[in-house]
Amino acid sequence: MNVERGKINVTQLFFCVTGFVEGSVLLVNFAVDMTKSQTWMAVLASIAVAIPVIYSYVALATRFPGLNVIQINDIVYGPILGKLISLYYIFFFALTFSFNNRDIGELYKIFIMPDAPMIFFLAAFAVTCAYAVHKGLEPLARVSHIIVAISFTVMLLIFLLLIDIMDFSNFLPLFDVPLISFIHSVHVITAIPFCESIAFLMIFGSLDKTEKAAKYVIWGLISGGFILLNVAVRNTAVLGNTVTIWTSTSFESTRLIDIGTVLTRMDLWIGVIQTILIFFKASLLLYALATSVAQILGLKSYLPILLPLTAIEVILSATVYQSPVDHAMTTQNAGIFYSTPLLYFTPAITLLIAVIRKLPKSKRRKRS
Amino acid sequence: MIYVLTIYTLVAIINLPPLIKNGQKRELFAFIAFFIVAFVLSLLYAMDIEIPSPMEGLKYLIEDFMGLKYPEPK
Repeated sequence: MNVERGKINVTQLFFCVTGFVEGSVLLVNFAVDMTKSQTWMAVLASIAVAIPVIYSYVALATRFPGLNVIQINDIVYGPILGKLISLYYIFFFALTFSFNNRDIGELYKIFIMPDAPMIFFLAAFAVTCAYAVHKGLEPLARVSHIIVAISFTVMLLIFLLLIDIMDFSNFLPLFDVPLISFIHSVHVITAIPFCESIAFLMIFGSLDKTEKAAKYVIWGLISGGFILLNVAVRNTAVLGNTVTIWTSTSFESTRLIDIGTVLTRMDLWIGVIQTILIFFKASLLLYALATSVAQILGLKSYLPILLPLTAIEVILSATVYQSPVDHAMTTQNAGIFYSTPLLYFTPAITLLIAVIRKLPKSKRRKRS
Repeated sequence: MIYVLTIYTLVAIINLPPLIKNGQKRELFAFIAFFIVAFVLSLLYAMDIEIPSPMEGLKYLIEDFMGLKYPEPK
């Protein structure tokens, strides 16, 4: 039995995927160290790498309509191995939510309220996400198009306001990044903004028409990728070689907007938009975490465990990294390697085994 | 410390009665298990006792033990 009874449609799924990918807009910074002014190329390459990987997620969900990944693992691998693999998913959801919560904490602590204790931001943000998750998947999906529309408008507006100080010679020379650095950057961008959408394997089961999901998910991925590309191009064009020295390149580039000394301090908008986007992404991750834990424990609802799980996540967020530098350094290596088998191979292998074993069995019987 | 006790008392007061009233044993046990873990972690954090990060363990396993690490960007 699925713990979620609400249904969402494919258009809402498109906006959810777009908003989810956009939620990582702050994390493009992690790739700037490796590819510097050529980060835009790494974003494009990452979209190309991510499309087949994410298609494997959708293909798996389409083969098992109405089921989430915890149920699929039980069917494909059996109850024991299936639950062990499901624990890997849960571990990933738990850590990824804590990273996103930490991102918000660091954003507010560094740029907005340096004297306030970070645990306050972590707790306030996590409880807000828990409130959204408590309302269910449907209300979250219903606001997805508003979130995407607002973020798209603000990003476009900031890009237009910065056009007069953009220097496109900042992108030169092209192709001077060592191959290993480029691969590293693509690995970071593919894993974090794009393949974290593996959380949707807990959501695809709630689609009203799962068979139509592929097209909408891929377009959602491309739309979100377009926003990341816009951010990478904007920051490099505005900041040039200094792009590698700032903690948040988006904040620094937007601070340079000065239209007749009236339109200034637009970096406030970056803070607002990033809060909204990370809220949306973190809420979907918390939803995936709560539903997956409830599913593996055989609960009828995820609501009773939501608040205790959120509290554990707050402490995890507070202790997971020592500092923003530790956050960046760990994410660039251990942070992407620990999830690589899960993100790139596990759903594809599950799909392959399901095809070989001709699962699900009821579907086969219906066909015959 | 007082904040932690107040918040957790409130969470217990809000969540426990409906679970007991509806006889949802599995949900009740799950809630109590996660509640205890969350409460202990919060108390340790409030008392400034260091809580080990799972990323430290992963970092050791992946970077030091398995040697999986990209070279430092130049």
